[in-house]
Amino acid sequence: MASKKVITREEWEKKLNDVKIRKDDMNKLVMNFLVTEGYVEAAEKFRMESGTEPDIDLATITDRMAVKKAVQCGNVKDAIEKVNDLNPEILDTNPQLFFHLQQQRFIELIRDGKVEEALEFAQEELAPRGEENQAFLEELEKTVALLAFEDASSCPFGELLHISQRLKTASEVNAAILTSQSHEKDPKLPSLLKMLIWVQNQLDEKATYPRINDLSTAVLEDPTV
Amino acid sequence: MVTNQEPGSDFSFDLVKLGLRLSEDDIADVEAEEVPSHLNTNNSSGGFVVVSTDKLSVKYTSCNLHGHDVGSVQANCPAPSRRLVYYFEIEVVNAGQKGQIAIGFTTENFKMKRQPGWEPNSYGYHGDDGLIYRGSGRGESFGPTFTTGDTVGGGINYATQELFFTKNRELLGTIYKDVKGPLFPTISVHSPNEEDDCLSLQICSLKVHLHDCPFLFALLWYQDTLESFDAASNNTPIPNPMIQENGLNEQGVTFELHNRKILRQLIRSGDIDSTFSRLWEWYPQIVQAGHIEDAFNYARSELAKFFEIPRLEDLLQVFNDNSAIQKFHKIYQNDTIALLAYEEPTKSPVGHLLKMNHREVVADAVNAMVLSTDPNVKDAKSCLQSHLEKLLRQLTACCLERRALNGDQGEAFHFHSVVNSGKEVKPASS
Repeated sequence: MASKKVITREEWEKKLNDVKIRKDDMNKLVMNFLVTEGYVEAAEKFRMESGTEPDIDLATITDRMAVKKAVQCGNVKDAIEKVNDLNPEILDTNPQLFFHLQQQRFIELIRDGKVEEALEFAQEELAPRGEENQAFLEELEKTVALLAFEDASSCPFGELLHISQRLKTASEVNAAILTSQSHEKDPKLPSLLKMLIWVQNQLDEKATYPRINDLSTAVLEDPTV
Repeated sequence: MVTNQEPGSDFSFDLVKLGLRLSEDDIADVEAEEVPSHLNTNNSSGGFVVVSTDKLSVKYTSCNLHGHDVGSVQANCPAPSRRLVYYFEIEVVNAGQKGQIAIGFTTENFKMKRQPGWEPNSYGYHGDDGLIYRGSGRGESFGPTFTTGDTVGGGINYATQELFFTKNRELLGTIYKDVKGPLFPTISVHSPNEEDDCLSLQICSLKVHLHDCPFLFALLWYQDTLESFDAASNNTPIPNPMIQENGLNEQGVTFELHNRKILRQLIRSGDIDSTFSRLWEWYPQIVQAGHIEDAFNYARSELAKFFEIPRLEDLLQVFNDNSAIQKFHKIYQNDTIALLAYEEPTKSPVGHLLKMNHREVVADAVNAMVLSTDPNVKDAKSCLQSHLEKLLRQLTACCLERRALNGDQGEAFHFHSVVNSGKEVKPASS
């Protein structure tokens, strides 16, 4: 096996200097992050200070965040109405998302101890969906199992009651709204950082060069030979 | 060319470089590679095959089934190499009496009357026996046979330097690609009534942009790559900016933030006089004589005013009248004066100073300069780039280096394309 190529700090810094990174591209990246993550005030300020135009109407972020927040707080009914106000097609074209929202509604009813109401809701709203789709039926069975336990949190599927289930549903709605607005559902910045880690690991196999190990300081470490 | 980098000065800015960040003309060679789009009708083995008028279908016409009467056809150009993966597919419409169909890759000089794989520097996966041939008449066991109704694909993974083949979208296996030069997608038929319908030579020849990576790896079953990507990204936590807000780093990052914000606003709005008075007030050490390098740059920020003054005479007039300029040494006037020596200032070597985005450049320079007055900063030059920019430079350099070590094959990384790709992804409907 050939030995690794050694790139000195000096050589590497020259390469880094030769890289062309445009400032407005960086601004776009930052804006993309703010917009996708829903930091609407920061996005607005950044638009004014940097002159970077967001690729989406900032007002729609506020709406999207309201939906997300409603799910996170357990107000699922509210969230469903808000989504339909925003764009009725979102739930029409996403049966899975609609099922998950209804499932979340059911979970919230159980959390509030409204067992009878939950049962009724399951029969009227959830069961018909389960008949349509085998995958929904399996999820439905797990969810309804919550009813069989006095203390629902001790049910094997008790994690459904966990706050992370809300966050999961909220992020699913968030992604669906973004997709409906022809916007990517994930911000680019985290993927780029992941890619940096990945490509450095890949390059390690072939070369020794100054790495950035700590993303938060971006300090270039001397190559270890 | 103007230089402001005197030896020994530990604080200098290359405005040309800063200006480059704003230039529009630096992304020339991005993905200019030709991609095979149809079959080459000029170079096919005449007499044995008929290529249909859409140039995507072939049919074997000869009745002589001699081993030298194979009908091979190449694509119109070699598989593009400046990407991670190239892939094409064919659909077998009619396998004919003997089912002697092959899919593979060949070099430019390949003999069109032979099956891909039989000749040196060629590779072929053959339908009648399911064997892989690489530069030899003797095949090696590889996959199942394929026949009428099957969709068969061939691809090149430039990252691993391997060829791979698929049948009905399932990966059959990989072989090492020892030919380093360009390879043409090639198909061959050798049995009456055989007809291959190349659905499209471009199908799945994905241009891999960043966000496609995991998707593509999953699609093409590069599980290892996908896993290492996932492992790398999961094991190393992406630092949460919120955590650091109260941390030690805060000082460096937010140093004089408020003042820098005001300065940036003033420069962006073109109010240079106010910029100067603030600078005198807040950071006299930067503007004072003796810090020539720094002041040099401030003289340049004077030029931001000239945006609105297109005529040379007016430019001179402003120069003479302006009291602010008197505050500075003759030395750094030379640079700005240099502009006047050109008929068309925007085309002069210092023309970058007049570009529309110059205010932005000046604002960046002032920003970095103020940052450098932070006593905690050891390396003044590092102020010029944000952490974000450093990370992006590192990312680009790593991708380029990795590609260079791979014989210049594989996907190039272009930050500009990645950032601007979102809009093109929009569905064309509606």
